[in-house]
Amino acid sequence: MLASIYALIACGYVLVYRVSRVLNLAHGELMMLGAYMLMLTATQFSGYWPVAIAAAAGLSLLTGVLVYLFLMRKMTGEMVLAAVLTTVALGILLRGVMVLVWSAQQQYPAQALHVTNSSIVLPGGARISFFSMLLVLTTALIYGALLAFLRFGRWGIRMRAAGQSPLLAAQRGINLHAVYALAWGLSTLTGALAGILIALDSGLDQTMATIGLKAFPAALVGGLDSLAGALVGSLVVAAAEVLLIHYVDPLLSEVVPFLVLIAMLVVRPWGLFGTREELDRV
Amino acid sequence: MRRRALGAALVAFALALPVPAAAQDVYTIGLTGALTGPPASTYAPAVDALRIYVDRVNAAGGVNGKKINLILQDDSAQPGKAAANAKKLIAQDNVLLMLNASLSSTYAPVTAEARQANVPLLFASSVCPPTVYPPADPLQFCTTAFAASYDSRATLAFIKETAKEPVKLGFSAMAIPISRGEIDFAEEQSKGMGMTPVAKEIIPPPTPDYTPFATKIKDAGANWGYSWAPWVTQVRTLESLRRLDWKGNFVAWAHLEAEGELARLKDGQFYVVGANALFQDNLPIHAEIREAAKKAGSQYPAEQMAEGWIAGMVIEAALKATGWPATPQKVADAMSNLKVDTRGLRGGPIEWTKDNHFRTRQYYRVYRWDTGKGAIAREKDWYAFDVK
Repeated sequence: MLASIYALIACGYVLVYRVSRVLNLAHGELMMLGAYMLMLTATQFSGYWPVAIAAAAGLSLLTGVLVYLFLMRKMTGEMVLAAVLTTVALGILLRGVMVLVWSAQQQYPAQALHVTNSSIVLPGGARISFFSMLLVLTTALIYGALLAFLRFGRWGIRMRAAGQSPLLAAQRGINLHAVYALAWGLSTLTGALAGILIALDSGLDQTMATIGLKAFPAALVGGLDSLAGALVGSLVVAAAEVLLIHYVDPLLSEVVPFLVLIAMLVVRPWGLFGTREELDRV
Repeated sequence: MRRRALGAALVAFALALPVPAAAQDVYTIGLTGALTGPPASTYAPAVDALRIYVDRVNAAGGVNGKKINLILQDDSAQPGKAAANAKKLIAQDNVLLMLNASLSSTYAPVTAEARQANVPLLFASSVCPPTVYPPADPLQFCTTAFAASYDSRATLAFIKETAKEPVKLGFSAMAIPISRGEIDFAEEQSKGMGMTPVAKEIIPPPTPDYTPFATKIKDAGANWGYSWAPWVTQVRTLESLRRLDWKGNFVAWAHLEAEGELARLKDGQFYVVGANALFQDNLPIHAEIREAAKKAGSQYPAEQMAEGWIAGMVIEAALKATGWPATPQKVADAMSNLKVDTRGLRGGPIEWTKDNHFRTRQYYRVYRWDTGKGAIAREKDWYAFDVK
């Protein structure tokens, strides 16, 4: 479950970085915004939770595209650091706006959608909540779809090309702005799906942005330019976290992702599946 | 002629200058609080209630014929921001009284600023620090319902009275000093009361999945759970336990969110112990708060406003006793000898003496969801502990 949360969030970091070399430090806030959008769609589609989720996911995709078009596009040609700082500012802005619009109080989209988060018994007697299971399945589906899209899809191949060499890609007639906008849209969509499903499972409050930040080490451990790496990195970080909670000290859970990250930076700074070339560029 | 014109211009300029807040004909008070940021859900509704209360007092003519100027500053629960807010409220706004409605990590810088300027400091909706209990710091006061050590005594007494079987307790706390300290205290207390503590989980604040912690409590064989932490930690521990098919009883502190949450969870074995009367009691003052919140168009439900309302009642009474003109010292003196009738919002009055700036008696009530009636029920009526 924890690995699925990290993986679904981490793939958003990877998508944007892989294509545009920008570390999106507003990813946690965009994820939280997606969850709040569910509160918006829940009032419109109360009783039809799949429709409400799909509508919130669609709005999140659109938000990601708009963030690129109206903000990050202006950063084209600027230093990467400037773009990263822009995402920091965006995160602060979004946090403020979300408090103003939805207030600081705890929200429960599942209640608004009149859906019960029942407990499911798995083989072996283990139990998982309905939305936790949905999150695990969504993560598997998203990764499968993204890997297939990047390998075989026309726009996926364009995204890879833009990531490898923007200059050559542009010379071959690829519309770089469209590719970048798509990457931002997909990244926000995956983050929002994580936020939406966490909110349905256990509620929504201002701490969600911090969860987004906790998934960042998982992306780095796997290698920032590798989608498969994000998946493996999430499994490694989550396993370390759960095992240490269970056998050593629960308090370690807060620092474990970063301890694993430091260990990885010492042994293999480019991550499990990343490439040295990408590290040099950073 | 030129000189006279210049003089007139200077006088006109001086008259046009903005008058400092302290010199204005108002009681200026300032608050630094977590209006945004992760723990804002615990503080923002109380601060909004206080704002509404002060607006009502002002609309009715103010206190001693003077309006109250309430200045709100957001610190996002960050000590650095809280320190800057405190500096600004004291040096620039010349407040007579400063309020804190934020995490305990903001206390040190705010307290230091208030102490240096000899301005009284009221903790309103933020946990009462040890300095307000006897012998109290002359400048620090607290209206907040929850009280370290007393809350756990009240909870454990309730568990002991209610349990029909030997109690095996599983604890959960948030990884912040105040919550950890209280749960450590409860663990020790429970041993002396014949209960067996079997698990104690200290959970970091931004935890996306509570299952590993809940699994440990369940596997340890707990039949009662107790959490004294911000609401999110309390309720997510319980919900994770239930998803693991845990059938035990769970007791938590009745934070602002408790009433709505009892109705959401509809869990007959979930008890909340608190010092504020829930709105299901339908007291006349509850109707008053509901109406005021509706009129003010608050973002927050009236059920979360008792804490801020009580702070407002106490501030109004303190300023009334201070008289006019007011100074921070006069306000502190008035607060050191104050008795405020909470009109049923608490089990008794808030009474401050020279040595006790918390209250002389702390009252508790226990509520739970009555599955038969489909409503919140009072499980145990007011019971009190003397604060010495």
